[in-house]
Amino acid sequence: MKPLSELQQMFCDGLRSSAPPSTLLLNEIVDDGLQLERFNVYRNNFVVLNGDALADMYPVIKRLLGAEAFRLLATAYVRDYPPMDRALLLYGERFADFLAAVPELSGLPYLADVARLEFAWTAAYHADDVAVLGQHQVAALSPDALENLRLQPHPSMHCISSDYPIYSIWLANQDGQMEETISLDEGGSQVVVIRPKVEVEVREVSPGSLAFLQSLAFGETIGTAYTRAVEMDAEFDLHAFFARHLFDGTFCELQNQGTTD
Amino acid sequence: MKETLANSVAAPVPLRAGAGLKPKHYQAIIEQRPDIGWFEVHPENYMGRGGPPLSYLERIRMDYPLSLHSVGTSLGSHLPLDVAHLNNLKALVERFQPGLISEHLSWSHGYEWYTHDLMPLIYTEESLKLIVEHIDQVQECLGRTILIENPSSYLQFKQSEIPEQVFYVEAAKRSGAGLLLDINNVFVSCSNHGWSVEEYIAAVPHEMVGEIHLAGHSIQDLQGTRLRVDDHGSPVCAEVWQLYQSYINANGALPTLIEWDSNIPEFTELYAEVRFAEEFMNRTSESCHEATL
Repeated sequence: MKPLSELQQMFCDGLRSSAPPSTLLLNEIVDDGLQLERFNVYRNNFVVLNGDALADMYPVIKRLLGAEAFRLLATAYVRDYPPMDRALLLYGERFADFLAAVPELSGLPYLADVARLEFAWTAAYHADDVAVLGQHQVAALSPDALENLRLQPHPSMHCISSDYPIYSIWLANQDGQMEETISLDEGGSQVVVIRPKVEVEVREVSPGSLAFLQSLAFGETIGTAYTRAVEMDAEFDLHAFFARHLFDGTFCELQNQGTTD
Repeated sequence: MKETLANSVAAPVPLRAGAGLKPKHYQAIIEQRPDIGWFEVHPENYMGRGGPPLSYLERIRMDYPLSLHSVGTSLGSHLPLDVAHLNNLKALVERFQPGLISEHLSWSHGYEWYTHDLMPLIYTEESLKLIVEHIDQVQECLGRTILIENPSSYLQFKQSEIPEQVFYVEAAKRSGAGLLLDINNVFVSCSNHGWSVEEYIAAVPHEMVGEIHLAGHSIQDLQGTRLRVDDHGSPVCAEVWQLYQSYINANGALPTLIEWDSNIPEFTELYAEVRFAEEFMNRTSESCHEATL
């Protein structure tokens, strides 16, 4: 008699495999001539249920590839990278890298970055709820203190920089959008995905703004982050950036340790 | 909002019909406040760090009692339970104060990864001992008893030496847990394995049952053999309604859940099914009432 551990692992090997289950496994199942078909219900459920979770996370990728191609890729992904967590909320973290490595998709070079945007959307959706920066907190600061401030972007923020127009591609593939043709000649885009309160927001920003936010997220002061942003993008305008983003939920409430000594 | 909940105690799940809570119905429920006895959720869907699902659940919990129906504990796995997952579950129990907590007689963790589908157990004394230890561990961690649900299955292992219903009842008896009787699962498994539904249900002591589940299933044709697949993607079928009616007529009404997990209908259709179950419950309690007069 096989120990429980061996049987359960053999069962898992069969679930995950793209090949039919081993005779060794089928021999453990009560024989009514349908052992293979019965086992295949589980094998099929495994790729379908987890593939459905991927489809929920990547609706734009599914739309770009079509349901049939998406299902094939999702099945391969589930077998290569089965869920490592008991909750499926963030299942599919490596899907962008997976897509980038599929030779047949090399003609769609923007796909992986669109997938990164979609993962960021779900990650932001389930991120910590944190109070956003309010005007009263900033009003109390002197101009000197402001420059040395380590302003923290909201923990739900994700920054994505792409060589392709992924913002336009993502936007054009939302429900209710008209069919339109997007030219890859539009060039790259920088995208911030963030959830200040209830709704996840996807915003296209300038290269300087993205560099500025990434530096702040890294823990730099406003002064240092500004230097980085201008190196990246000579047109970066700090006043315009703050006029637009200081109180729109991009930043968290200030903590006591928010300023340098 | 948090204060209201922190001050509330676990609201018992009432002797009424309830519904599985689905994200696509959040808005309708908050706006319409339908007359439904209680809601049930999979706690694993609320294990994010924050975000709208937790806020919606908090809002809905203010108006309705709640049941947590876990799918991720993997009670029957040869591997140890995941303490981090148990702590997440405990945190949700403390935050949402559910009236009932349940988990499946199943496993989903054979290696370091998870199947996320409920896998069939081998019914031996070895796996019974193991599952009892795991149920004990969950109950100890939560400081409460839980209900164990009978599975739906598509195959049997040659090594199994205990009938499923005996194993199911014994696992609960030895751990002090209660039973969640899924009547659709009984029907599906009995049909798939040629077992007697009547014998199965007769082996389940009514006084141990704390909740009933009802759901729909689909039928696959395997070379002329009908296999029933428990996909929770259609209305409860006539045979299962009939079994449900005779069960509660014989034993009295119990909190009853209508479950949907795929092809989820509009809220009005789910609501109609919940009302339908509650009609059966009302008729049963009326006849019980008349009998005592």
